[in-house]
Amino acid sequence: MSENVDLSPEAAVRSVMREILGLSEEQVNGFTAETELFGALPELDSMAVAGLLTELEDMLDIMIEDDEVDGELFETFGNLVAFAEMKVAE
Amino acid sequence: MISTLEFSSFPFRDHEEFCLIAGASCEQQLLLIPPLFDEMNRMRQVLVDVMRRLEKQGIGSVFPDLPGSNESVVPSDQASLSMWQEALVRCLETFDNLGYVAGVRGGCLIDAVGPDLPHWRLTPVDGQRLLRTMMRTRVASDKEAGVTMTISDLTEQAAHETLNLAGNAINPGMFAELQAATPDTLKTVRQIRLNSDPKEADDKIDGSALWLRAEPESDPALAEAISQDISEWIRS
Repeated sequence: MSENVDLSPEAAVRSVMREILGLSEEQVNGFTAETELFGALPELDSMAVAGLLTELEDMLDIMIEDDEVDGELFETFGNLVAFAEMKVAE
Repeated sequence: MISTLEFSSFPFRDHEEFCLIAGASCEQQLLLIPPLFDEMNRMRQVLVDVMRRLEKQGIGSVFPDLPGSNESVVPSDQASLSMWQEALVRCLETFDNLGYVAGVRGGCLIDAVGPDLPHWRLTPVDGQRLLRTMMRTRVASDKEAGVTMTISDLTEQAAHETLNLAGNAINPGMFAELQAATPDTLKTVRQIRLNSDPKEADDKIDGSALWLRAEPESDPALAEAISQDISEWIRS
C-alpha cells in the first residue's frame, strides 16, 4: 500500500521544499544548483529543516543521521540535492 | 444555509472534554480525528472549514479535543496514544449517531475506534516520523543554546523521563507508543493522499501539505477537496 512510486532525489527535494516552505511551483522550479537556501529563504528555519529532513527520509526511503546534518548541507540547493542523491545510492 | 458550528462536550474519566460540532441535526454524522501535536494546530482552520462545508452537504461532524491538548484540563505531560483512543471511544458513545470515522495524519494512529464503522484517512503517518521531526527540532534548539544532543541521546533519556520535544511534553509511555505506532488495519478504509505525494492511495486530491508548514495557514481548495471526497464517500 505504501510503496513509493519512483521519484528522483532532485524531484523529491523540490517537492519537499515547496510543501514545507509554502513556496510556489514557479519559484521552486527556478532553483538551480547555485541557489542559496539557508539565510536566503526566511521560511527555512530550524523547525522547517527538521520537517524537511523527515519528509525527505520518508519520500526517498533513507535515514539521515544527526552528524550528517551541518550548515553546509543547506547552503545551496545543489548541496542538498547532491546529499539526497548520495543517500539514495548508499 | 447558516452554519451551526457549536461547542459541546463528552465525559472522559472524571471530567468533560470539549468538542466542536457542526450540523447536529443532520442524519449522517462523522467523527473527525485531528492530526497530533503541532500538526493539529496547523490543520485546525482547514478542518473547521471542512466541517462547515460538510454541513452544507447535509453531513454533520464532531471534532473532539484530545485529552492534554487544546481546552482539555488533563496536563499535557500525562497524555498518551492509548488515552487519546480511550477518549475517542467515549466520544463515540456520547454521540451515538456517529456512523463514519475520518482521521488526518497522526489521527490515523488512534482511529481504530468503532471497528465496524467505515473509516477514511488522509495521509496517514507513522508515530516514529512524528517523533523524529520533534527530536530534530529539539536537537536544533539545543544546538542554538550551545548544548550538544543527538537523537539517540534523546531516545535514551525518553525511556525514563518526560522530555520536552518541540514544545510537547512527551512522557516515557507516550514516547514508546509513538515509536511503535503505525495505522491499524481496518475493515473498511478509504485512503487519500495529496497529488504531490508519490505514495499509493485510493485516490489523490489537490492541496498543500499544510500540516508541514511552520505557520498555520488556510487553504480553501484543500478544504473543498477533503469535504468533497468525504461526502462522496459517505454517499457511495
